[in-house]
Amino acid sequence: MSGNEFTLERKREMNVTAKTYQKGEIPGVIAINATVCKGCDACKRHCPTGAITGMFGTTHRIDVDLCLSCGQCLINCPFGAPYETSDTVDEVIAKLKDRNNTVVGIIAPAVRVAIGEDFGLPAGSLVTGKLYGSMKKAGFEILDNNFTADLTIMEEGTEFITRARHALFGEKSEHGGEIGPLPQFTSCCPAWVRFVETRYPTLIPHLSSAKSPQQMAGTVAKTYGTNVWKKSPESIYTVGIMPCTAKKLEASRPEFNAAYKYNKKNGRGLTNKPYPDVDTVLTTRDLSRLFKKLKIDLAQEEEVAGGSLLADYTGAGTIFGNTGGVMEAALRTAYAVLTGSELKPLEFKPVRGLQGMKSASVTLKDAKYNKEVTVKVAVVHNMAENIQPVVNEVLAGRSPYHFIEVMNCPGGCINGGGQPVCSSGSSWISAIRPWFAWK
Amino acid sequence: MEKQSYQYIENPLQVTRREFITIGGMVVAFLAIPTVWITLVTSSSSRYLQARTKGLYQDDTKAAVRVSHANKSVARYYKEFGGTPLGHISEELLHTKYINRTKVLS
Repeated sequence: MSGNEFTLERKREMNVTAKTYQKGEIPGVIAINATVCKGCDACKRHCPTGAITGMFGTTHRIDVDLCLSCGQCLINCPFGAPYETSDTVDEVIAKLKDRNNTVVGIIAPAVRVAIGEDFGLPAGSLVTGKLYGSMKKAGFEILDNNFTADLTIMEEGTEFITRARHALFGEKSEHGGEIGPLPQFTSCCPAWVRFVETRYPTLIPHLSSAKSPQQMAGTVAKTYGTNVWKKSPESIYTVGIMPCTAKKLEASRPEFNAAYKYNKKNGRGLTNKPYPDVDTVLTTRDLSRLFKKLKIDLAQEEEVAGGSLLADYTGAGTIFGNTGGVMEAALRTAYAVLTGSELKPLEFKPVRGLQGMKSASVTLKDAKYNKEVTVKVAVVHNMAENIQPVVNEVLAGRSPYHFIEVMNCPGGCINGGGQPVCSSGSSWISAIRPWFAWK
Repeated sequence: MEKQSYQYIENPLQVTRREFITIGGMVVAFLAIPTVWITLVTSSSSRYLQARTKGLYQDDTKAAVRVSHANKSVARYYKEFGGTPLGHISEELLHTKYINRTKVLS
């Protein structure tokens, strides 16, 4: 594919027209290769915002101001016409070869159950150990994103408890800060965050202020991580390894240089040149390409442990990749904090599964106020089909829920726009192949 | 004595045998082709989804610790560096603000 020319043309075009991007952001991670597109309209069904324009039978284009960079069109196109405008595989390989750098790979939960497919393993194989082994062989240090998923739960869960106690019991904030309204929306999914920012800015106060696990990981790597790996913050190069194309856009947001500001303020920095929290992002597909370029066969690698405390994670962190996972993890912790005892059983079934919209309620006793409360939660995925009613309810102020998880992609991050493509398009063989994926 | 109530009408719709076969074939094709296509396409992607989903839930089931607040490394992070959730360092490093993008930015 002659991708490069299109990228340049696209960029030039976008400098003139794009209105919804800050300076420094990647103006749209997804573009359509006009020479490949057949105009079959298959992608339009998967686009959450109707950003794909062009009549049936003519070459389609993406309106970058509407586009969330979620990549659903890319993984669902029968012809492989959409492509990513940002490809940093070679840049990362160069950094890995340069021994002055500590290259930190931030591995998202959904990567470990999908990357095996690119190396001939059955769909859904859990390959955490082999993935660590391959990453170490390539020269990465490992910061498991599941560690920061646990951190996200601590922050976002505490935030939810604060908001709930404020709304229900009128509790004031400890630091005198403002407390956001209910329902609280999760903020892990960058496509969902961009959807709110570009379409419904009045909902911004409902979004949890907690950063996504990827951005937390970048910040932790360049602040606390300097103690763990005994390196200077400038020499740490953070690479998000994500099932997601929108994470590339998220990492390029200019406000995400909290580690630089913190280090400078506390005299830990050596340079005055600002560095981003997450230097670059590779998708699952990008990482397989990197391994193949370095002649690493993941399927044959040894199983290795993470190597530092930043790779320790819990079961609650790892289910972030499934739809309902963030909610389940948050409920496990919120329940324990509010009641003082653990949720039993830990599996919270009502938020699992592939139904478009899931809701549940938990009645528990808040130990601090000694009162019964019923927490109502909802889980939304596949935004293209399911988001509008939920948003309308919240806008109208009659949403019955307290906490709502939203993930853009159907099924959650495991089916993200950066995952290996299971071509469900025109090829009959690949449409049938997954039937034999169980063993 | 039997009364003759049955009356036979020869080919009431005036359809020839060939026309009947053609119409029947078209109806079957119209029903069958999209059904097969849709089931193939949707089932293949949901098979992948189910396999991957199952993989992550397995990772949860086999984990020694299954709740975030019991992650010892997270506790150590807060003790050695981060303070408390929603504390000053957490607000500075782990929280963010969002932007109204309906206004022209660039």
